[in-house]
Order: sequence, then C-alpha cells, then structure tokens
Amino acid sequence: MRTATAWLFFGLLVFAPAWSRAADPKEQEYYEIFTFPIPDGVVLEAGAMEMMPGDQLAVSSRRGEIYLVSKPFTKDPKEVKFTRFAHGLHEVLGLAYRDGWLYVTQRCELTRIKDSDGDGRADVFETVSDGWEINGDYHEYAFGSKFDPDGNLWVALCLTGSFTSENKYRGMALRIAPDGRTAVTTSGLRSPGGLGMNAEGDMFYTENQGPWNGACALKHLKPGAFVGHPASFRWYDEAKTLGPRPKEPQSNSRMMDEAKKIPELLPPAIYFPYPKMGQSASGIVCDTTSGKFGPFEKQMFVGDQSASTVMRVVLEKVQGRYQGVCFPFREGFDSGNLAMLLTPDGSLFVGGTNRGWGSRGSKPFALQRLNWTGKVPFEVHSMKVVLKGFELLFTEPVDKEKAADSRSYSMRTHTYIYQSSYGSPEVDETTPEIKSATVSDDGKTVRLELDKLEGGHIHELHLDGVRSASGLPLLHKQAYYTLNYLPVEDESK
Amino acid sequence: MFRAKRTRGLDRRTVEWRRSSRGPALIPHPPNPPFPRGGVICSPPWEGGVGGVGDNRPVSSTGSRFAFVLLMGLGCLLVSGPTFAARPEPTESKTALFQPANPVIPGFERFFREGEADRTQGGRLLLGELNCTSCHKAEKGVEAHLMRKQAPILDHVGARVRPEFLRAFLNAPRTTKPGTTMPEPFVGWPAKEKEDAIEALVHLLASTGNLTDTRLNRKVIPEGRQLYRRVGCVACHGPREGKDEPLRTSVPLPQLAAKYSVPSLTSFLLDPHRSRPSGRMPALSLNQNEAVALATYLLQDIEVSFSPNLTYRYYEGDWQTLPDFDTLKPVSEGTAEDFDVSVAAREGNMALRFEGELQLEAAGDYAFHLTSDDGSKLWIDGTLVVDNDGIHPPSTKDGRATLIKGSHRLVAAVFNGGGGVELGVEISRRGRSRQPISGFLAPVKKDPSKAGTDTPAKPEVPKFRPDLALAEKGRAVFAQVGCASCHQLKMGDQPIESTLSAKALATLTPASGCLSGKPDRGHPDFGLDDVQRASLAKAIEALAHAPEQTPDAEGMIHQSLLAFNCFACHQRGKHGGVEPARDAYFETTQKEMGDEGRLPPPLSGVGAKLAPDYLKHVLADGAKDRPYMLTRMPKFGASNTSALAEAFSKADPMEPVSVPEFSESARRVKSHGRFLAGSQAFGCIKCHTFKGIQAEGVQAIDMTIMTRRLRHDWFHRYLRNPQAFRPGTRMPAAWPDGISLLPKVLNGDTSQQIEAIWRFLADGSNAAEPYGLGRDPIPLVPDKEPIIYRNFIQGVGPRAIAVGYPEKGNLAFDANDMRLALIWQGAFIDASRHWTGRGEGFQPPLGDNVVNLPEGPPLAVLPSPTHPWPKERAKALGYRFRGYRLSQDQRPTFSFDFEKLHVDDFPNAVAGKEYPALDRTISISTEAPVENLWFRAAVGDKIEAQGDGWYLVNGEWKVRIESAAKPEIRVSNGKTELVVPVRFAENKAKIHEHFEW
Repeated sequence: MRTATAWLFFGLLVFAPAWSRAADPKEQEYYEIFTFPIPDGVVLEAGAMEMMPGDQLAVSSRRGEIYLVSKPFTKDPKEVKFTRFAHGLHEVLGLAYRDGWLYVTQRCELTRIKDSDGDGRADVFETVSDGWEINGDYHEYAFGSKFDPDGNLWVALCLTGSFTSENKYRGMALRIAPDGRTAVTTSGLRSPGGLGMNAEGDMFYTENQGPWNGACALKHLKPGAFVGHPASFRWYDEAKTLGPRPKEPQSNSRMMDEAKKIPELLPPAIYFPYPKMGQSASGIVCDTTSGKFGPFEKQMFVGDQSASTVMRVVLEKVQGRYQGVCFPFREGFDSGNLAMLLTPDGSLFVGGTNRGWGSRGSKPFALQRLNWTGKVPFEVHSMKVVLKGFELLFTEPVDKEKAADSRSYSMRTHTYIYQSSYGSPEVDETTPEIKSATVSDDGKTVRLELDKLEGGHIHELHLDGVRSASGLPLLHKQAYYTLNYLPVEDESK
Repeated sequence: MFRAKRTRGLDRRTVEWRRSSRGPALIPHPPNPPFPRGGVICSPPWEGGVGGVGDNRPVSSTGSRFAFVLLMGLGCLLVSGPTFAARPEPTESKTALFQPANPVIPGFERFFREGEADRTQGGRLLLGELNCTSCHKAEKGVEAHLMRKQAPILDHVGARVRPEFLRAFLNAPRTTKPGTTMPEPFVGWPAKEKEDAIEALVHLLASTGNLTDTRLNRKVIPEGRQLYRRVGCVACHGPREGKDEPLRTSVPLPQLAAKYSVPSLTSFLLDPHRSRPSGRMPALSLNQNEAVALATYLLQDIEVSFSPNLTYRYYEGDWQTLPDFDTLKPVSEGTAEDFDVSVAAREGNMALRFEGELQLEAAGDYAFHLTSDDGSKLWIDGTLVVDNDGIHPPSTKDGRATLIKGSHRLVAAVFNGGGGVELGVEISRRGRSRQPISGFLAPVKKDPSKAGTDTPAKPEVPKFRPDLALAEKGRAVFAQVGCASCHQLKMGDQPIESTLSAKALATLTPASGCLSGKPDRGHPDFGLDDVQRASLAKAIEALAHAPEQTPDAEGMIHQSLLAFNCFACHQRGKHGGVEPARDAYFETTQKEMGDEGRLPPPLSGVGAKLAPDYLKHVLADGAKDRPYMLTRMPKFGASNTSALAEAFSKADPMEPVSVPEFSESARRVKSHGRFLAGSQAFGCIKCHTFKGIQAEGVQAIDMTIMTRRLRHDWFHRYLRNPQAFRPGTRMPAAWPDGISLLPKVLNGDTSQQIEAIWRFLADGSNAAEPYGLGRDPIPLVPDKEPIIYRNFIQGVGPRAIAVGYPEKGNLAFDANDMRLALIWQGAFIDASRHWTGRGEGFQPPLGDNVVNLPEGPPLAVLPSPTHPWPKERAKALGYRFRGYRLSQDQRPTFSFDFEKLHVDDFPNAVAGKEYPALDRTISISTEAPVENLWFRAAVGDKIEAQGDGWYLVNGEWKVRIESAAKPEIRVSNGKTELVVPVRFAENKAKIHEHFEW
C-alpha cells in the first residue's frame, strides 16, 4: 500500500551522516531564540498571545488564565515580569485586542474582558458570542483569530472527538462582528491548530492529519468554501449564510479529483508532508514587519506542536486559488509550539504546551521569542510554479555553475488518498526529470524546467548541490510545493 | 456430574430445530429413515421457504416433515412455490440447486489464480492444504517443501457435529459446504451401496460422542456479532452480512446451524486445535462468554425449542412484596420453558409462580442464585431457600440447601411493579461454576386430561441413536474408502488404519486419478478446477526434480504465511495485507492513531524486531499487546509455528548494535532511563501505557513489556529513526538525526540514553513509575479571594462556571440555563481531570453536601399560575448569557438578558454559624413592565413553608426568600415547586435568597 521507494528515499535523507553538517550554517546564527523565565507556580500552557497597551504581552493558557508579560522585548531575563490579568476562563485559544477590550476565544464563547477599575486585573467579562455548542468532549476546541480587515474575529471549531460533528457548528469557521453578530462562513474543518491572515488579510487556518486529511495543511478559509471534512454538512440547513449543502466527497479518491466534482471544495493551500515537516501544524503569523524579521517579507510562518518547530510558507495564487511552498525554518523550541505572535518590531513570540500531545521539545510549557540576528541566511526565498517547472528565488546569489547543474537538484512528487479513514500514506509517486536549471544574470533566480508537472501533487525538491556564491550550502535544502493547480498561460511569469 | 445429568436430561427431551426467519429448517432425522435417493430434499414450502412462512403452521401428515433437510439455504430458496412437494430428481437438484465449487484455499485464490502466478508455488500450497501426501507418500525431502494440513481429528466428532450434517456432508461434501477441501469419496458408487456406506459411517461417527444442545440465549447475539466482525473472524471467513458478494478469498463455512450446537461450537471456538491441529483455524483467545456469544451469533438461524419444563400461574395486582398466592386466583396458567416471564400478559403489576421438578444426580450441598426485578422467592420441597423479595432493580440473592439425590419440587415466584420484569435461577455446587437450573428440570409430564387444551402437541421427533452394528460396518468403510488416510479416528487407543493404497507422489501422472477432470471409482473427487489441476501437476513435477533442496528461510516463511493465511492481515514485503473488501472490519479504539492503530503490523523485518522467544510465543499463543487494536493476534499453536518463528529470525537480517558502556552504577543508569521516559524529558508515557497505567493521549503498547517483546538491537535502531521502520508511524523521533534533544543527560549520548531506557524498562513490572505518570489531584483552594473555574462540571453542563469562595461555600452557574445549578460546602474542585492530559469529561465537585438546584431557566413568563415551567434549556429559549463582572473582592455577578429583561444574579458565599451559607440577590430590570413573570426558587419532592420566609426542600436544605410578592408552593409535572411572582417597581425588581444546608 505504501510506496516503499518513497520511504527508502526518505530513509536516505534521514540517514545523512551527522558529521557532514559540522561546517554547515546553523539556524541560530540567523534566528536566535530567547527563552522567558516562567515564575514558579505559573503553568503557562500558551494557547494565544496578543500585545496590550504599554508594551505588555498577553499570554493566555489552556488552564484559563491570562498573564501579562512586561518587557517582552528585552534581552535580559531579569527584567521580565508576569502578572495575572485574568483567570477562570475555559481553555483560551484566541486573543485579540481592540479599543480597550481584550477579546478572548474560550471553548464556550467569545468574551471581551477589561480592567475597569485599574487594579491590573480584568473585572468585566462580557459575552460577545456563544453562537456554537459544546458537549464536554475534550476535542471540541475553539480557536480564535485576530481582527480581520472588516473588523471581524474568526472562530474555528474542532469536530467532536475530531471525527464527528455532534453539536452546532462543529467543523465550521464562524465570523463574529464586534456587536456579536455571528455568521457561519466555511465548512469542512476537522481539527484546527491555529488561525492567521496573510498580508492581504485573507484568513487561513492549520488543519491536522486525520480523516479526509492525508497530512497537516494550511487552508484558506474562503467564505462559502468547503475545506475537506464533510462531517459539518449536517449544519448547512441552519447555517443559511453558507449557501446550499455541497455534494458529499467520495472516500478513497484524490483531493483534486473531488475538487473537480464539488465546486465548493477548496484544496489545501499547503500540505506539510507528514512527518517530514511536522505532525501537528499550529499557529500562523505573517511577516509584515518590513524587513525587521529578515528577508521574508509577507511570507507566513506556521508552528508545529509535535516537532517543536516553525515552518515557512510562501503562497501564490494560481487559477485564483492559493497554493505554494513550505520550507523548514527553525527548530529546537522547548515545548510543543502552539500559539504564535509576530510583533511589528520583528519579534516572533512562540508559546508551547505538550499536554495531551507529546512534543519533541520536552518542557511541559514554554514562552520563547525568535528574533532575526541581522545576518541573511542562504535560503530559497520563494518557489513559484511556472509553465514548465518552478522558479526559485534565493536570498543570496548562487554559485552559478552549481546552480545551473540539474544534478544539484532532485525531485519527487506524491499525493495523498482523500479518504474518510485516518491520514494517508504518500501515494502516486512520480520522479520528474529536471531537464534544465537556468540561472538569472544576478544569480538570485533559478528556473527549473521539468519534463512534467504533476497537478494535484506535492513536489518535493531537494537542493543538495546548490551553493551560494560564497560557497555556503543552503540553510534548509528542501522545499515542498503543493501543486494543486497548474499555471495557465496568461498567469505565468 | 452436572454435565452427565444435563445430557441425560436432554435425552428425554423432544428437540426440534426450527427454521427462523434467516435460514432454512433443520429437523432431526428419525431413527432409521431410508435415506432418500439423490440425497437431497428441500423442506416443503410450509416449513418456510421463500417468504418466511412462520413456524406455527399445522403439521402436515405427509411425513415429509421428518425428512432431513439439507441445509442448502440457497438451494431451498430456489425451489420455492406452493406446489413443491415431490423430491427433485438428482440431476435437476444438482443443476438447479447447487453451484459446483472447487476447494477454496484463500492463499491460492488470492495469489495463484490470476495472470502470471507461479503455478509451482501455488500447486505446492495445494499439495499441503489438500493433504495429498497422506495418501500419496512423498519422500522425506519432498515433505520438507510442504506445509501439510491435517484433516480434522474425528475422535469425538459425535460430540461436535450433528449426525444429520455428517450424513449430508458425506453424501455431497461440496454442495453441503461449498469450497470444502474434503473430497467426494464415493465417486462412481451405485446409489444403494453409497447410501449404505454413508449410513454406516454416520453411525460410526455419531457413536464417538453425544452432542448436547442448549437454548439459544438471543441476548448475546449482538455481542457475538460484534466479536465476529472485530476480533478477526472476518479476516479469513468474510463478512456474513451485507449486500456484498461473498469474497472468493474467504475460507468457506457450511450452514453452521446444521452442523453444530451452541455448546459444541463453543468448545470448538475455545480450542479449535483439538480437532483441527494444523492451526489453519487459529484460536482467537476467546473467553468462555465470548465463545458462547460468538457461537450463538453463528447459530442464530436455528431455534432450538425444548418441551416445557415448568408449569406457571400468572396473577395481576399491585404489590410491594410477593403476594400470598394461595389466596389469589390466577389470571392464566400453562406450561413454560424455563422461567420465561414472557408468558405474562403484561410486565407491570403482575406476578408469576413457576413450579417444576428438580432432578439431582447426587446428594450434596447446593447453592441457588435467584436474580429478579422486582422481588422473588425460591422454595425447594416447600422450604424457602432464597428470599429476594421487595421492590428492587435486577439483583441476585443466594441460598443453600442440602438435598438428596432424586426429584425435588421447585417453586419460584416473582412479582413486578413497574419497569421490566426479570427472573433467573441458577444452581451451583461447591467449587463449580453456576449454571442455569434449566438443565436440571424434568420435562412437564403430560396431563392426559388436559390434552388438546394447551398449545398443539409437537410431533415427537426422537433423537438420533447410533446403531452399534452399523457403526462397526462404518469402521470398515472408514478404512476402506480412505477416510482413515486423512482423518484420525481412534477406537480405544488405536486410530483406524487406512486400507486404501495409492501411488507414491513421485510416480503420479498428470490428468489421471484425482487430477483427472472426472475421477473414476476409487479416486476421491476434490472438484479441482483447471487452474488447480495444472498447478498441482506443475508442483508434483517440480518436486520430483528437486527433492533434495531444502527450502530457504524466506521460502519457508512465504509458504507458511500462505498456508496460515497470515497474509489476510499482515503484509510482508510486497505480499499480502488486508484486502480492501475486509478493510472496514479492522477497527481500533483510537481512531486518531490511523491505520497504525487498526491494521495488524507488517511482518517485514519482524524477525529482526521481536525477540525470538517472544515471536515464538506470539505465533503459538496469540497476543493482545496493542490495547487499541480490536483485531486479535490469534493462536496458531506451538507445534505449527515454531519452525516459522525460527525462519523469521533467520531470514531477517540484523546488524548488531554495540551496546554502550556506562561509568555510572546500574541504579544510576536506570534512573536516567526513568527520567528520559517521563514527562519532563521525552514523555514516552504520554502515549504508551506503563504497567497498565493509562497514558494521556493514545494508549500505545505498554512500555514495561518492551524488553521482553523486542530485540535489543532493534530497539536501539528503531528509537533513532521510527519512520524508517514504520513509515507513517505517530511515534516521534526523540533523537532527530541521531542527536539527542537532551544534551545534559548522559552527556547527550544518544546510544547511552537509549540503552538507559532499555535497562530501566528491563525491570518490567518492577520498574519505578516515570515522572508524570497517571494523574495527581490538583485541588483548587480559594484563599483570600474566590477562584473561578469554567469547565465541564458534572451536574451542571459543558458551560459551567464554578466559583469557590474563601468562606468554603461553593457554587456553579450554568451559562446554558442561566441558572445557579449547584451549591456545595468544603473543598472546591479538583482540576486535574481537565488540566492533566487532554481534559476529557465532566468533573464533580470536590467538596460535600452538594445540592442540585432546578434545571431550566430561573425566570419565565407563565400564562397562568398553574402553567408548567418551560422544559427547554434557557439558551434554546432565547435567553442570552451576558457574562459576569467581578466586584473589588473578585466576586462575580452573572448577567443575562431575556426579551426586555436584564437580569443580574449575585450569589455570594457567607460564613454561617457552623457551615458556610449562601446569599443571593437577583436584580431584574426591564424597559417596559412584564406581566406574569415568575422566579422558580426550588423543585423537589417535598417543599415545606417554615415561616418567616423559610422553606425546607426535601427535608435537606432550606432557603429564605425576600421578595415583593409572597412565594407560592405548587405541584406541577409530579413535582413540588417553589415559585415567586416577580413584582416590578419602576421597572425594577429584586429577590433575595439565603441558603442554608
């Protein structure tokens, strides 16, 4: 059933001898992690983060507390202070601040809270919307977003037990206006791990491997779309804003085959191949810091809870839908990364927990901050699909000779079974031939021409032979492009 | 002793198998019927052919009622129609009724039937599965290439299989059990000769034991069905229901109801190797109850009805204890089978008195176990032995009696008020297990004076009794026709020896004898099809040429996996694995583990993975090490699998791993291992159970059996890179690229860290528990200020907001119902359920004296003072929760809106005289006056006004109410309610409550 060769291929990668990396560039030279000391007695299983006035970082916890962290940008751990702003909330997985109120997404409702008497503790807890149901199942999580350009907050509702939709709008995403008006917006969710917008303000969420999901993914919450898991279909009659109920997808098919039959079905923008990129995709942020976070302006960063990593994502629109590429970005966080917040000064706050789901980082919880050191890593900046292959943009000029040698690259593709049972092996493997690699005059762009692009496949590219003009290997040598749609003539660059 | 008694009891019974709605009928053969020509008779239509004619039709006088009905369900169904009466002609019956079938061997059908299959290998599989070399002697070197499947041992077949089935099966093996590997032995025999031979064989086989029957306990059918679907039966036999075509690769089953009784199939399922020693039918590690349930499910098509063994009298009336029956006149009376309470006209307000004759084989101390709902009593010989009287749910009471051998008068009576009625009587002797007393009850003696008044008498159908003279003749047939060549049948200590001689395997010529398309007299007819014959010929030829070669380990493994049909569940290399049509039957308790959690593991490299002894043990004894997997690894028997285990170990290469040295003491090394497994390090226990203690997330294989299960070197290699060994596994890599994430433990040496875990786990069940195992309580203790805990709380709901106050009074507000739901005293709550692991389920209060306050909205507009309180949840009725505000000292006031109303509910714990008390102020404001608004303060069985505004509820807690209008006590929906009219002054109203409890 599983493609043995695919795993052999993977095995070779993993078995790459460790010593060969000794001279390789290290992630920490480019992005350094600052770890916040967490006071004794504080169990900061970070579920969401937001900046509050006075440069205070609000961090919510799965235990229903919200802490304010003062001096969050400091390099001196001694300056940091934690004060508890609120407690008694129900597993908070969303924080957004506006006009004096902190909007808190709890399991049971969206609440806005504030400190009205100035004692540093919230005393008003106003219900904004409780327009969904819960039944006591631990899996019925509610993840909240930041405000979208129209001033709405989004809530992504996990399925019951991650398989079924026992209560109103489990498996759907809602938009909630500040006055509490609640509109069901997108169906087909299963087990979200975070919400976030791209630079254009379109809302995305991370989905986890499971039924109808061959691997973890980044999905666009396009209003009216169905994003893959049909359990939430039962609420279409009540969720009038969504339009008619889509056709049921057929199990044991392929995503793109079903997308052809079901107009509402929007394929994932990015698959995070399991477990090469991670096993539980989580928080999402977008770099709009105008360069303060390094050379990846307008790119997105996605956490992984199991692998304790942050991944990098570059999207483009092909045939009107988002798709694109993901790269490894930074590993080595202390706990299971869940919440992420990128502040305008270029600080990426990463909050972690590994309660209930183990993580590579072994701390039960952690709050860390990732900053760019100012040194530009040699990376594939972006990867875009063109008519006959891919165009790679590098952060630094490449060694033209090596980069023009097609043997510096290798590629394989695969897809997943779109099925009602859990996950999927990598199937339908192909190994396209890289016919040519053409380097631009400035040495920053390489165009790879392939014998065939496989629509509906993840294109896994390895750039082991590529070096920078100054002789460095890539900081991360692999890229995974989710090629749902092939470019059409007038879209190509 | 009980067993013997039981058998004798059964002998006296009239036993009849009747057709249920699902299958054709089987009626036992009369003692010595002439076997019908052609051998097959379908039941006449009034027996229930197509259309499911019921069982209660009058008995025909034709006598064909007694005809043994072959259990060709399909066949019978085809010959439907009201005019059917005569026997079909033999030739017609063959073409019209039965599909000729070749022997079905799943491995052959799956891998050697189509296309470019290796005919030689397929033929070799057939040679073994058809047991060819039991007649055609093979050289020793050749035998080594075959996996011989021994035919069923027939030593006690009479206790296992119904004689009627034996007769039908011998007469036409492949039509009685399509796909059977049993050949037709009487090819070319004249009909009469064949008939006589078969009859003699049936008497021989039936003389080897006595088949016992019991009633079908239909209650266990669903459990049996689930077992059949889940534990692994479907993997080989295929689903028994659904529209799907039967699978070509399924091991065929005959009409089991015709073949077995529940006890005989149960013992077969518990230990199939006793009669089928070659392990093709593995034991699924069923316990007694499971085996009975599975057998009952498989035999549900028959309805075994016994003659009545009790008389009953039925009474109606309303009682709290058993009435004095002597003073009552029964509403009806009659006879019953067992303590069948369904003879009663109704379930409620009734009583039944059963009477029967208890027959004991031996004197002794007997215990009686009486189960009933409501009350019951049991008398033996007029003495009360068990008293289980009174109103109660199903419960059992025991009593003892010392009884002499022989007959005793037994009376059991039950009454029932409301709800379901139940009565069961069991008996046991010291040291023996309980059994239903029905096996010890004599049939009710016919009262000639009442003949014809009861249900119409069923025709007496005597039980098959083996004729010993015929059996002796059968013995000769058994030796002569070759039964004894394959089947062991011991008479005394000596197996019957076959007198049939056959050519040696090496001298066989293709297309003759058994291999000819149409075998003649003296050759058994296996019904082989062209592909099978060609494959056998190829294999015989190949073996003749290369008998000296010994099969290599991998070849031997492949042969075994084919023969045992391991491929139905397991993949090894490119071969096998669950077929798509059976895939859905492989289930898991933890769906989120994906296929890994439900499909049996691949066997690629298993010899390198499992410790040799453990591998042997798993193959021989089965396993249930994966708690999440519902399919069981069955038991194939040590004698069948020890060579396979060794071949695995030989075939799967292993590079030895060099075990690191430690400078620290063994104890220190183990404590490092313990640390690494704990939640402060790699957190293995988050997913793996440990000494049976549940993990937080998925419940993967218990860590403490790892060092017994796994090879040491495999453990080292696997932990470094789980994905390389088990692609797609959820097991994370704790040492990515071989580098430890914990550089401080054992200097970050990966090899040492893995070895430390191994050594720690090697302590097995004596290993100390790693940090973070299980759940420590997290009591929340309010100190100077209240603590709020918003979560799933038992007795409140999923939107609960609990508040614990420093005064040690606690409450929980329900934001679904806008109600104060619970109040309690003492300790507040334990948060560990929700703050450890994933946080599933509802948590009850930690403290004491928990009072449940009314469900539903606290305020409602009632059209009249007697109008019932709304039953819906407040949220569903449009009440909107608005949140809460905290006072300066952190005490919440809950708010909600309803239509024009805004309500603030401020409950607050206060210190009481001895115990904490609770004050509550409900402030209601409205934009415009609201008429007929009520507040409901309490609901109970009893509410008493005690003056000065105090009310006592259920005698347990009291509340003092201050309000503009006087509270009222009313009865509604069978409950007493304390309701308060809400009177507004300037669009505002207030109600104060003070709780003491």
